[in-house]
Amino acid sequence: MARVYNWQLGREMSYWYPESRPKKQFAAVFDTNKCIACQTCTIACKTTWTSGKGQEYMLWNNVETKPYGFYPLAWDVKLLDQLGPQPWGSGPYEGRTLFEAAEAGERVLGFRPDDLDYAHPNVGEDDCTGRIETGAALELPHMNWFYYLARICNHCTYPACLASCPRGSIYKREEDGIVLIDQDRCRGYRECVKGCPYKKVFFNPMTGTSEKCIACFPKMEIGEQPQCFVNCIGKIRFAGYISTPDQAREDNPIDYLVHVRKLALPLFPQFGLEPNVYYIPPIHVPARFLRQMFGPGAERAVETYRGAADDPDLAGLLCLFGSTQFVVPRWKRQGDVVLGLDENGAELVRVPLREPVHVREAFDAALGVPRSNCP
Amino acid sequence: MKPIVTIATWLAALLLSTSAGAEVLAVRADAAPSRPDDAAWKGAPAAAVPLVLQDMVEPRLLQPSTAEVEVRAIADGERIAFRLEWKDATRDELPGIARYSDACAVQLPASTAPDVPAPQMGEAQRPVEITYWRAFWQGAVEGREDSIQALYPNTSVDHYPFQAPSLPPGSEAQQEMARRYAPARALGNAMAGPREQPVEDLIAEGPGTTRPAPKAQSRGWGARTADGWSVVLSRPLPVDLGSGGRTQVAFAVWQGAQGEAGSRKMRSVWVPLRLAAEAGGR
Repeated sequence: MARVYNWQLGREMSYWYPESRPKKQFAAVFDTNKCIACQTCTIACKTTWTSGKGQEYMLWNNVETKPYGFYPLAWDVKLLDQLGPQPWGSGPYEGRTLFEAAEAGERVLGFRPDDLDYAHPNVGEDDCTGRIETGAALELPHMNWFYYLARICNHCTYPACLASCPRGSIYKREEDGIVLIDQDRCRGYRECVKGCPYKKVFFNPMTGTSEKCIACFPKMEIGEQPQCFVNCIGKIRFAGYISTPDQAREDNPIDYLVHVRKLALPLFPQFGLEPNVYYIPPIHVPARFLRQMFGPGAERAVETYRGAADDPDLAGLLCLFGSTQFVVPRWKRQGDVVLGLDENGAELVRVPLREPVHVREAFDAALGVPRSNCP
Repeated sequence: MKPIVTIATWLAALLLSTSAGAEVLAVRADAAPSRPDDAAWKGAPAAAVPLVLQDMVEPRLLQPSTAEVEVRAIADGERIAFRLEWKDATRDELPGIARYSDACAVQLPASTAPDVPAPQMGEAQRPVEITYWRAFWQGAVEGREDSIQALYPNTSVDHYPFQAPSLPPGSEAQQEMARRYAPARALGNAMAGPREQPVEDLIAEGPGTTRPAPKAQSRGWGARTADGWSVVLSRPLPVDLGSGGRTQVAFAVWQGAQGEAGSRKMRSVWVPLRLAAEAGGR
């Protein structure tokens, strides 16, 4: 094992390979507060990439309800249980990562899901357990709340799938940090399926190889956001590239949300993979749960988000989400307008901070008739 | 009682000698058998080869499973066939998301020399040749349908893109559409099928370096026995291995029900392989 630096943990950690960061790192921000779990992202991905034989139950993108929804079944709670409670105060992570907790003979701590764990992608959907008026019918640790967690591959800086493969069949692209499985080299051992804590590598039993989210790299290469981003009804997603904290730029939308405002947080950072999909945590969920899922910055992020309406820069940047099919590497606000820019500062998209409001009177005085909203 | 004790002692001694100092002797036949139930196998001596955990490189196998493989070998002057038999309570030949295949392999050094490469998949610039059999593939060759329902009978599929009415069945356009959603097949990855043989020829130069051999020359066939598998693996005789010649051979066995795959396997060390004086032909 090598020693590498994980900025999400604020410390060095053990990893199977030495630190080797790509020239650019694909990253994304998902605003969980805006997700309605319509699964349009799921369908956009499925139609584009996983409609073949052996991919029937494979969802590179999925949306699950937390806390009782999982795909595959219990993926996160099983691993949290395996890892056990870990300490993390306000400084560097004090617990063990999945690489540090690996048992003798293993490269990473993980588990293999069962076949049937993939058979019910909507398990726990909209399950919040509470019947407030009549008293809760079900007593469980998490009462009367839920939120939607949209998930793709995190294209981690320290991928556990890549570390797990004994054949080196998984690689991280130098040009954009996207993690891919070489479909010619893979022999279907499924060490990556076991190793990925997010369970975002899937075995295709018809082709005998494992497959995963490719961040729609053919689109990213021409400056367009992936399918699950541009098809998102709730406009919750924003794709781009993230810098390390010391290189963070205020005019890079991802850097601004992650590093400058610390509003968007990694999913289970304590696992140690430095995942690159960042979540704006849901503002209505108990802080303890958010800390476990998004790390110690969760409460501050919720506070920041609550103040976004009175924060023109933050509100403005959030308005860029879902506003264009293009990847927006730079941004700036000019008064009540937010501009999405390319690397050279050329305008890609222009969005008002507040959409103009048109009031349509219920009675049409000119025609002397009441208006109806029916089509 | 005394004669029985003597026979038992003799048997124990015999077993010990075969496992500790096992040698595979390849006898001569007119044709190397291609099926495990071929009568010719009765004429080949059995070597009981002990298997050890692959615990040299991560990920390792941590729980021992197959203790021993019984090996017989027959050569016909052109090819050499090995029959591997081992105990395995479960028949794991149906692929699945979390189902693993029963499998076995025979490994020979790429060049016959007294100084053999490391038995763990060879070494850099000192390759080994491997013939690898998978029960998943045996099932496919025996006619398992190439459909998800063959793996999960209750699977419901509404539509595949290659079933679009605009794509005539069997047409190149339809096949192209099917390949589009099966990248491993499109690239010709041998994992992806379709298959004509349940075996694969591999070259390796150390752990994690396995690659398909330039030519597919091996053949094989597996059959269930009362308590395990009996598998024939045949390949061309090494070019530099003549009658009476010696080299080394190693074996590996994977039990699917134990989740064994890749480096998680039971393996042997190098075992001497001797061609009977009349078994060579080159």
